[in-house]
Amino acid sequence: MKRRLPLLICLFSGLFFAIQFFIPHQEVRLLYADGLRWLIVVYTFAIVLAVGSLIAHHLRKLHRQAKGWGYSLVTLAALLGMIVIGSLTGIRPGSLFNKLFLNVQVPMQATMFGILAFYIASAAYRAFRARSNEATLLLLAAFLLMLSAVSFMSYFFPRITTVAEWLLMVPSMAAQRGILFGVFLGTLATSIKIILGIERGWMGGGR
Amino acid sequence: MNDLLIKLAKIDRRYIFLFVAIAVIIPLLFPLNFPTRATPHTKAVFDIIDQIPPDNNPILISFDYGPSTMPECHPMAYAILRHAFSRKVRAIGVTLASDAAGLGEEAMRNVAREYGREYGRDYAFLGFKPGGSAVILSIGEDIKKTFPQDFYGKPTAEIPMLTEVKNYNQISLVIPLTGSATATAWIIYAGTRYHARVADGVTAVMAAELYPYLQTKQLSGLLAGLKGASEYEHLVKEAGYSEGARRASRGMDALSTMHLVIIAFIILGNIGFFLSRRSAKKGERT
Repeated sequence: MKRRLPLLICLFSGLFFAIQFFIPHQEVRLLYADGLRWLIVVYTFAIVLAVGSLIAHHLRKLHRQAKGWGYSLVTLAALLGMIVIGSLTGIRPGSLFNKLFLNVQVPMQATMFGILAFYIASAAYRAFRARSNEATLLLLAAFLLMLSAVSFMSYFFPRITTVAEWLLMVPSMAAQRGILFGVFLGTLATSIKIILGIERGWMGGGR
Repeated sequence: MNDLLIKLAKIDRRYIFLFVAIAVIIPLLFPLNFPTRATPHTKAVFDIIDQIPPDNNPILISFDYGPSTMPECHPMAYAILRHAFSRKVRAIGVTLASDAAGLGEEAMRNVAREYGREYGRDYAFLGFKPGGSAVILSIGEDIKKTFPQDFYGKPTAEIPMLTEVKNYNQISLVIPLTGSATATAWIIYAGTRYHARVADGVTAVMAAELYPYLQTKQLSGLLAGLKGASEYEHLVKEAGYSEGARRASRGMDALSTMHLVIIAFIILGNIGFFLSRRSAKKGERT
């Protein structure tokens, strides 16, 4: 029963959400809208589960004094600190929570992302070498796209933008579309396998 | 000379970092005000908002970006809101990313203050709701049931501008601003399922993924990265809607000089590479 019940819920909810699309009856639509709200509740519980899992993971690291346990301490202190501050002061503009978010988390995350620019520059310098015909094509495409990304180039040399646009609208899009077909056919196949109970990895616990 | 170029092909990456830093810092300190021209995809977003009658069906902006992608997406939010509020186009804000609520609220509040727009009458911020695609679908059924309260805890049923808004049928344009896969989720679930008009604002690295949707017209327009944001600012300024701080254009100056530095390094690297290959071949022959 412990295994059958989740499989049955998955089967019926999966079939319902697929079939309701073809039944434009008022009652079915109401049930569908309710189902969507249940989904949001499930997602909310998933966040609780994720936070619980994060805390348990870092507590284990601290307990064992595993390598990098200091980072775990910082993570837990920051997490619990923000939860306590948010609960006490609220999250509205002007609250301590909001100030910490805007003045600590925002600059820290933006800095981390900003550092990427330096590594991308260095990687582009090393990677874009005309070593072979394929590499030369990649180099030319990258060169044109980078030029089109320079704001005054599109102003003074609009043809560069036209060529870059063609690259994005024709060869790049052809590849993207192929990838998209593959991804969505794969998603469809996996969804059918999950609904029918063939694929049970989502239940956890191995086999 | 040849030796110098060959050496440049193997330059220490710390020198590259130094040049990149200079290329970024100088335009930020001393704006260069490079001219720009909007792409058709940016212009399409501008035109849609420009054609919405004042005080009519609102636009819905989904602030689905966190602090890491904020430098690209936040200026888009400001430019779009300035355009909308200057024309008295109403706006609803939501977010599917937990760390975006503070950013979305700040953008809406600041721009509304600039144009004297009133909360509840001209704009509303409904905050964060977990669930991703489930939230997008649920808005298609009933936005007030999906968000029973706004960001400030006020029941959405009591917000005047939402009284006539039930679902996407009463929304002029959906604009997700994001650096994640939610860009596609809005197209698939709000656009295809509920026939909402969708225009995305995404990070530059994501833009290529969305071109298939532009061609099929599932996507009505696209702001691609900081360049898209700066083009939108340019259009808003050109139309005389705003003279406000053009944060994207300033960032775009820095990005443009950085691109030029990278292009210069790539050219130098390739010259050095060819020269070293030629001298290696000569060495083999002798």
